[in-house]
Amino acid sequence: MSITKTTCLGAISLILSTTIVAAQDLDAMTAEELLPLAQAEGTVTVYSFTSRIGKVEAAFEAAYPGIDLQGFDISSTEQIARLSAEAQAGVTNADVVYVSDAPVVLEALLAPGIIAPYVPPRVTDRVPAEFQSPLLAQRLSTKVLMYNEEANPDGAPIDSLWDLTRDEWAGRVVMVDPLQRGDYLDLMTEIVLRSDEMAAAYEAEFGEAIDLDGAANAGEKFIMDLFANDVILVGSTDDVNAAVGGLGQDNPPVGFTSYSDRRDNEEESWALQVANDVAPAPGIIFPAVLALTAEPNNPAAARLVIDFLMGDETETGGPGLAPFYVAGDYVTRTDIPPHPDAVPLDDFTAWRVAPAETAKIRAEIGDLVLTLQ
Amino acid sequence: MADIAMSRQGRRVFFKQGTVLKIVVLLLLIALIVLPLIRTVLFTLRPDVIGAWGDVLSGRLSTNLFYKPLKNTMLIGVIVSTGCVLLGGFLAWLVVMTNVPYRRTIGVMATLPFMIPSFAAALAWGTLFRNDRVGGQIGWFQGLGFDVPDWLAWGMVPTLIVLTLHYFSLAFTIIAAALATVNSDLVEAAQIAGAKGRRILMGIILPVTTPALVAAGSLCFAGAVSNFATPALLGLPVRMQTLSTRLFGMIEVGQVGRGYVIGILLVIISGLFLWAGNRVVSGRRSYATITGKGGRAKRFDLRGARWPLFAVAMVFLLASTVVPVIVLLASSFAPSSANLFSGWTAHYWIGASNPSFAQGVPGIVYNADIVRALMVTLSLGLAVAFTGMIIGLLASYTTARYREGWASAAITQISFLPLLVPGIAFGAAYIAYLGAPIGPFPALYGTFALLVIASTAYLLPFSVQTGRAVIQQVGGELEESARLTGAGFLRRLGAITVPLAVRGLAAGGILIFVKIIRDLSLVVLLFTPTMPVLSVLAYRYASEGFGQFANAITVVILTISIVATLIANRLQAKSQPWLKD
Repeated sequence: MSITKTTCLGAISLILSTTIVAAQDLDAMTAEELLPLAQAEGTVTVYSFTSRIGKVEAAFEAAYPGIDLQGFDISSTEQIARLSAEAQAGVTNADVVYVSDAPVVLEALLAPGIIAPYVPPRVTDRVPAEFQSPLLAQRLSTKVLMYNEEANPDGAPIDSLWDLTRDEWAGRVVMVDPLQRGDYLDLMTEIVLRSDEMAAAYEAEFGEAIDLDGAANAGEKFIMDLFANDVILVGSTDDVNAAVGGLGQDNPPVGFTSYSDRRDNEEESWALQVANDVAPAPGIIFPAVLALTAEPNNPAAARLVIDFLMGDETETGGPGLAPFYVAGDYVTRTDIPPHPDAVPLDDFTAWRVAPAETAKIRAEIGDLVLTLQ
Repeated sequence: MADIAMSRQGRRVFFKQGTVLKIVVLLLLIALIVLPLIRTVLFTLRPDVIGAWGDVLSGRLSTNLFYKPLKNTMLIGVIVSTGCVLLGGFLAWLVVMTNVPYRRTIGVMATLPFMIPSFAAALAWGTLFRNDRVGGQIGWFQGLGFDVPDWLAWGMVPTLIVLTLHYFSLAFTIIAAALATVNSDLVEAAQIAGAKGRRILMGIILPVTTPALVAAGSLCFAGAVSNFATPALLGLPVRMQTLSTRLFGMIEVGQVGRGYVIGILLVIISGLFLWAGNRVVSGRRSYATITGKGGRAKRFDLRGARWPLFAVAMVFLLASTVVPVIVLLASSFAPSSANLFSGWTAHYWIGASNPSFAQGVPGIVYNADIVRALMVTLSLGLAVAFTGMIIGLLASYTTARYREGWASAAITQISFLPLLVPGIAFGAAYIAYLGAPIGPFPALYGTFALLVIASTAYLLPFSVQTGRAVIQQVGGELEESARLTGAGFLRRLGAITVPLAVRGLAAGGILIFVKIIRDLSLVVLLFTPTMPVLSVLAYRYASEGFGQFANAITVVILTISIVATLIANRLQAKSQPWLKD
């Protein structure tokens, strides 16, 4: 009996140790070494917060025939809820997680071990340390105030966020419901975290110190005034883009959306432009991170996808990075030149999100937004 | 296997009383229906979650979390149920009691809207009336140059109209069936006494059909307050929340505790109204309208009002059946809903992926997601039809053959419990129930099995009802003679009941199939990207601004539903007494 037991235990520990070694091995492997293993796996599932996963899917399958990439466009908020539920259920559906909303991701997914970090060895020397840990950031994305440049050829129609609370902008500011999309809740949270700057901007705009009128701080006061001014909440950034950017409008609204959506101006007949000079800042800039699920079903293919998404060795990163090498997305790889059409990162005035700070008061701001709806 | 070892005598004694069967069925129903609900309640009582009750019911969040959505929900319930009873009652009166032209056509058309999923009607409304308030595509009327006001494009008014046009056919069916049984003696007596049409209507027909009106009203109320698709598609863009959209929103963003609390409150509200409706009806049992004698009364002669009333009926019927179908079909071909009938392209159906068209989403025939969703949906429909009819048959057999005892009563009560539970709350309960492992059983989150089990449980009221109708057709004496010759329970079921009832069972199965493939509210929370179903995919496309894909998928669902319904009707030779002359 005891012999059988020992053998069993031995076998189990052997299996366990091989998986651990395997995971470590996989982490150290190059794309060429991963490829045959990935082809043997044959498929890989990606949860992505951007619809550009469709383009990645086509490019990946062209680059690595025989591996079926299943990409799902799921908002960050929903990914977090789904991955938590799946983890609780002990089910793993996704292999790769491509997500923004870093404040919640770190707390709700990375801390309990639902997702795991992975940095392809090929790029470790070309991505700044702050973007490799705790999770690998592929690029910086934005949620900033955009306007219609066809209707406003001389530049943004407003010069301060506080303009949005004026009567003339009632019902003409568009954004996605912050309770549905975490990026927008992060934006609201950042406005509160930057209350001092908001207070200064108020004084600059209206020539008098801000009267909080019951609000806890200038940031909260702004959010309350914005909602009181009939801000329009829509379901997706594309709705914002169409409303703000659509050509042929006499009096288009302004709205918070991704700077990089300007890339689609031509294809979609939009005239989106960023209001970079708005005081105190046009919005936020935040990392879009790549991670593995804790126990991916296709560990080699999953790593290959992340390697692919970090771009190849051509000048602008090749097909894997192509959907993201656009004006308004700031790729974290230092050897990739900045996009020529975008405001250089150093001149871009949006606030950098500090995930840990955001995480502290985010739920509170969510509740505030809930009371305003 | 144990019962083989048991003596023949002992087994017969057991089955004679139906005890084993009763216990098995009862346990099954408890596992399917009672436990999920209990587990949801228990979840909200956990120490780290119990605060959600306070958030929802009092405190600064409660207004927006609960009371405002509650107000909207009640408004929808009251107005829609009133509208449905008026409209359904009017049509039923026309069809059953008058000499309006094309009675048959009206009668058939009035039952159709319920076959069309309510999200289809909401999508069609958006295609016609969307204005530019929230960006994205504008609707047809705006495209024609009309300035569609916000109140007509979004929010409460369109929700009320769409829901009324959806649920009135439920009211019609119930009221028409009741009117058809009004004893002609009463009406003739009144006519002889010289009463005029209005007097007969107010003095005899209305009072006699009160139970049907109350039943219709309370069913429409329960349906309307729990409807998710319509307020989500038409109300959310203008921040109009109902309890069901709030419940969905809370669970989607991971605030599960608050979501469950709202779900429990929604169950209580909808259950309360159905129960109250039942009380009103069953409290006054003196309304027996079917007696031994009495034939069909002479129809009211509408005289000059025949054609005008026909026209009024047709306006409602066309608006609720033909118009949505045409709009959805046209929209699935039109690149812009502003120009619904020009520049048609088959791209949304058969186009290959093209980056400059709909952000590279290929037509639904080539869209792997949609094809997989179609497969999952059809398999789900078949699986649920199968499991549903088996359990429905078992439960109804048990209660029909062994009527006595508390166990039978409990089986009947529990099997109708899901009627009181809005689909979205039922979905939430199942996530709480099977979303995490229970003892040795693995969690079923994101699996096909979860969809099948939850759908089977949700539709049990219908499968049990169908099963009962079928069982009652098969005379008990056939079975008794089989039992005398020593046939066991399964043998009797397999050799007598099922073969004799197979047509009815098939028809029942098909109706369950249709119900589940067009359902959105139950599956919207159980949906996972790797286990997609068509209705949720349509909803997601619609909320992301890809109206054409949503509409094309909806047309597919509609086509399958209508074909399946027609097959079921043929099999069943469905009795619609109000159409008989």
